[in-house]
Amino acid sequence: MEERNWIDKRVERLSRMVARGTSRRGFIGRVGAMLVGAATLPLLPVARGHANDLELPDDATIEGNAGNPESCEYWRNCAIDGFLCACCGGSTTTCPPGTEMSPITWIGTCRNPADGKDYILSYNDCCGSALCMRCQCLRTEDEKPPYVMWKNNDLLWCFGTKSRAVTCSVSIVLGPADGA
Amino acid sequence: MHGRAWQSAVVALFAFAAPAEAFPPSTHFAIHCQGCHGADGHEVPGLVPRLQGSVGRFLAVPGGREFLIQVPGVAMTHLADSDLADLLNWMLGQFAADEIQTDFTPYDAAEVHHYRRQPLLQVKKVRAELMGRIGAAGLPLPSPAD
Repeated sequence: MEERNWIDKRVERLSRMVARGTSRRGFIGRVGAMLVGAATLPLLPVARGHANDLELPDDATIEGNAGNPESCEYWRNCAIDGFLCACCGGSTTTCPPGTEMSPITWIGTCRNPADGKDYILSYNDCCGSALCMRCQCLRTEDEKPPYVMWKNNDLLWCFGTKSRAVTCSVSIVLGPADGA
Repeated sequence: MHGRAWQSAVVALFAFAAPAEAFPPSTHFAIHCQGCHGADGHEVPGLVPRLQGSVGRFLAVPGGREFLIQVPGVAMTHLADSDLADLLNWMLGQFAADEIQTDFTPYDAAEVHHYRRQPLLQVKKVRAELMGRIGAAGLPLPSPAD
């Protein structure tokens, strides 16, 4: 039984090598995210009327963490309390597969360091699976105490969704906060 | 030195003259209302009443005009009376153009000031009474609140 021919050995070594270097779940996840991402592209973001004609400077020009969507210091996250969907299988503006974006959100403004302008941000919770537990952020610019609950980010904003279980949060730019 | 002092004075003046919240009503709506009502004033069943084609119906019955100021989401908004009056007028133009009467008098700061300081202790009861009056007048009912 020890006697295997050279083809068996080679194939075995090769498949072990491939298995060590890759992750099946990761591959399935990536394919799944691509499929769901492609399917939901036409639905995003919430305020398409604004988003279509909104010219935002390229975030890649922002140096440091303020330009990195997976960082709490990312400029759009100036008032976020929760896990960044960008680290949880979604993106800054899209929910991870298997979760649903809450239609009821809390809204604030953040300054974009690329152009020094303020923008109106909508923090939508993505609801439907367990807490993501990655990229936990707590920033509170212009956040108000819980008795001003519509300007408070301690709440779970899973209202109007099938599930009340919050997974992560997105930060969607609704428009410029300059009255345009 | 004098030049610099002047510059600082001018900068300070501008900073004071342009407070962070000097926004037009549309921006105030986005910041203070849109989180629940959406940009288009739609309904979230069981949670958020529709504004579009609905909110203006309250103006048709006695008490409705005050209700739109006193309803907690409006009365408690962190806006000055004059900004809130502008926001209400803008909102009615945006979502109730077909409902508001031709003799509609726009809200002003004094009226907002007066009514937002008289809190509705029984919001649901008052709303139900207004719905009853609207129904009794043979008008289509506004969107339910819950």
